[in-house]
Amino acid sequence: MTPDSAPSDLPRGPASRSIDRSGLVIALALAALAAVLVWDASQLQSNTVYGMGPEAMPVVIAVGLGILSIGNLIDALRGNLPARESADPKAVWLILAGLALLIAIIGFGGGFILATTALFVTTSAAFGRRAILADSAIALVMTTLIYLAFDRLLTLSLPAGPLERLL
Amino acid sequence: MDSFAALAHGMAIAVQPMNLLYALIGVFLGTAVGVLPGIGPALTVALLLPVTYKLDPGGSLIMFAGIYYGGMYGGSTTAILINTPGESASMATALEGNKMAKAGRGGPALATSAIGSFVAGTIATLGLAFLAPWLVDVAVRFGPEDYFALMCLAFVTVSATFGDSPVRGLTSLFIGLTLGLIGIDKLTGQARLAFGIPELLDGVEVTTLAVGLFAVGEALYVASRRHHAEEKLEPVRGSLWMTKEDWKRSWKPWLRGTLFGFPIGALPAGGAEIPTFLSYSTEKRLAKHPEEFGKGAIEGVAGPEAANNASAAGTLVPLLTLGLPTSATAAMMLAGFQQYGLNPGPLLFAERPDLVWGLIASLFIANAMLLILNLPLVGLWVKLLAIPQPWLYAGILVFATMGTLAAKPSVVELSMLAGFGVMGFLMRRFDFPIAPVVIGLILGPIAESQLRRALAISLGDPMTLLQSSISAALLGVALIALLAPFVLKGLGRFKANED
Amino acid sequence: MASFQTRLLGAVVALMLAASCPALSQQLELKLMAPAAPGGGWDQTARAMQQALVAAGIARSVQVTNVAGAGGSVGIAQFVNGAKGDGNQMMVNGFVMVGALAMNRSPVTLDQVTPIARLTEETQVIVVPANSPIKTAQDLASALKADIAKVTFAGGSAGGVDHVMAALFARTIGADAKKVNYIPFSGGGESLAAILGAKVTAGISGLSEYEGQIKSGKLRALGVTSEKRMAGVDIPTFREQGIDMVLANWRSVVAPPGITAEQRKTLSDAVERMVKSDAWKDILKQKGWDDAYLGGDAFADFLKKENARVTDVLKSVGLVKS
Repeated sequence: MTPDSAPSDLPRGPASRSIDRSGLVIALALAALAAVLVWDASQLQSNTVYGMGPEAMPVVIAVGLGILSIGNLIDALRGNLPARESADPKAVWLILAGLALLIAIIGFGGGFILATTALFVTTSAAFGRRAILADSAIALVMTTLIYLAFDRLLTLSLPAGPLERLL
Repeated sequence: MDSFAALAHGMAIAVQPMNLLYALIGVFLGTAVGVLPGIGPALTVALLLPVTYKLDPGGSLIMFAGIYYGGMYGGSTTAILINTPGESASMATALEGNKMAKAGRGGPALATSAIGSFVAGTIATLGLAFLAPWLVDVAVRFGPEDYFALMCLAFVTVSATFGDSPVRGLTSLFIGLTLGLIGIDKLTGQARLAFGIPELLDGVEVTTLAVGLFAVGEALYVASRRHHAEEKLEPVRGSLWMTKEDWKRSWKPWLRGTLFGFPIGALPAGGAEIPTFLSYSTEKRLAKHPEEFGKGAIEGVAGPEAANNASAAGTLVPLLTLGLPTSATAAMMLAGFQQYGLNPGPLLFAERPDLVWGLIASLFIANAMLLILNLPLVGLWVKLLAIPQPWLYAGILVFATMGTLAAKPSVVELSMLAGFGVMGFLMRRFDFPIAPVVIGLILGPIAESQLRRALAISLGDPMTLLQSSISAALLGVALIALLAPFVLKGLGRFKANED
Repeated sequence: MASFQTRLLGAVVALMLAASCPALSQQLELKLMAPAAPGGGWDQTARAMQQALVAAGIARSVQVTNVAGAGGSVGIAQFVNGAKGDGNQMMVNGFVMVGALAMNRSPVTLDQVTPIARLTEETQVIVVPANSPIKTAQDLASALKADIAKVTFAGGSAGGVDHVMAALFARTIGADAKKVNYIPFSGGGESLAAILGAKVTAGISGLSEYEGQIKSGKLRALGVTSEKRMAGVDIPTFREQGIDMVLANWRSVVAPPGITAEQRKTLSDAVERMVKSDAWKDILKQKGWDDAYLGGDAFADFLKKENARVTDVLKSVGLVKS
């Protein structure tokens, strides 16, 4: 799933009746999802003695997804999708980079404070602020307070890293 | 009547100044923690329970009641202000509430939700005090087949959240149903769609999905459109308080919401989500201005909020009379009660009337405290929206991360949060409604397991669904609700053609 | 107990952040993992240990971490890999984890951890609705032999202690465990409602959970799984009724793999001292848990035996592929 499967599109008017390429992608994705469901259901061993087994529901949902895939396909071919405005890919990528940083820092044991500070600064930048130092300072203070409140008052430990161990 | 005297006695204890102070502290702490996105009432109660340990039983019970109601209410504040429901039960509130907040009517939205919670909480607590024994007899008659029928009814009402395209609405719902399949199958213990990732075995956490779709998705979407016209949020446009018109449009939804919330909450597997959505769709159908729905209709906040709070009181019915914890929050309450030497169950009302009536009195007091504390805070909360956009959204993301990490500190969970955020962004961009995904995730697994339980008991005979009168009646109502719009539309078209 | 007072005070004065616990002479700084979400049984056990260890002055500080997921499969994997050789960490676990690890085909097993001690256990009970024609455990056994499909059991999650018990019951009386019509419910509440509403034939659960209903006469207890009749409980054991089934839902605490014998002794001693402390006894009484302390090699032995027995039962039900 990438966020820019569409943002490159030009703005289109509501009157546009051409085939909607993003709509095709959506229909295809739904069909693929249905296929995954059926494949996964076929891997289950049906050891249910009474009533309905665990594979019945996935198949029902897969059939529904299949039908909806066709429905979305028709909408796309008719160009029936609602109008979209152009999007700013840079802002989206910045926030996604922030989320990726967050996950990486937590994953490598950098701790809650550093991770969420990174997220705060990138998000703030995505919304057009350029004061990285000031934002970092604000974020550090805020996340440290959150960490302390959780750790000391609620005895719930958020992921700890080098900074947290100093506290 | 004996109950009245007992209640009066409980009240006399509860209104002592020290106890009132405990109630206030409880409500304050509950609201403060409950307001954090991703931290639902269950976690709030779990986290704050130790705070009450050191008080005497009466005082701790009262503070506990305050924490409970504060936690329940806290979730709706973020739902309204920043479109980030703290728990699934305040999702319906977010639908209209956030639209109101964006239109500068956050004040009235918060007020109607606080007053609605109070009204519903008071009526439902009265119901708890006087109807509990009778209600619980009805509740245990609900078997798996009846729950399945109730879920069918709930599925039909979901269409109220579909927006203008049934295809896209259903697509959202089915994505939710698919997400609901992930994890260990409750009836056979087999893993579905887990792809060998152990963190997926427990399934998708509703709060992770809701926070991802609503909060992270919203942040991405707003950021992507910033270059168009900076969306200037005015915290207050018009009156900060509810106008006469607002009152007129709110009081009936409050009462109807209570009527949905209390009985369904009292069912052992009823939950709070179904009544909130039943209330939402009912209000949408009954509203004088249905076209306002989706743009910020106050009825759509008043009803679900009342239903949410009434169902919270409803869950206390099976908890106190049978010792049945029917939700995660109720399970935490049970742990709390046991701490105070209160063992919920059929003997509780007979053995410890002092504690039961003390608790019920505490609930009244806590409920009133909630209103007293939160109405003046409305002005302060609304100011949150005046925070500059970069900091507001950066802060929302930090809090969303915090909530997720507090519940499940794992990289997989964070990745899911980010993934759902991207999904929420794409869905907004391509105009797919968001709420049905979360509803699918909540209702799908319940409907499936109840159906399979019913079929296991009947040894595979599907007629069991019609043999139970409750189930047959509910399925009938669902069918009518499903067909009525089409029939009406058809009739309308027929008439139009005649002209 | 000072830490709670400070916590309360700190909470009341909002962000007045409490300083660390008052300095005690002990050096032990423990990390305790509850492989479940906050609020559940394992979490409560971990937090009870935290409370008792600090209150009794055995440890200077105890930090509880929650790693929820799949009956503890996620937690134990992280524990075995992440805490290897760390003599300051322990993890709470119990009966349910044995089955969960087998069913989820977990690459990490209980053989890898260092057993410390069993702490508590709970007796299991089989109940029927008050108006059921089934009066004794033998009645239930004959019903099961007559038509096993028609006898429905309500209980907790698939592969959990209740499910294992239903299969064990069938096996003990000579019925086909694979054909048991066991219906898992989420949480004790829902299954209790199904039993009270007579939607199922019988229900299985921990005794304390149904004690109120049994005393009030809404449910009839057919038997308990303890070895001998319990003091103050007027319910016959299955053994007394000629059905040789003994079972308990136990909770224990373990240490990571690869710790030295000395580290193991330190932890074992700390837990033993904790179990004997008044603080722990108070908590047990408050929560209604039964003390079932079993330390050292005896516990290691017990763990091995339970592991083998449960895996065997789950295989016979078809939940674990043999």
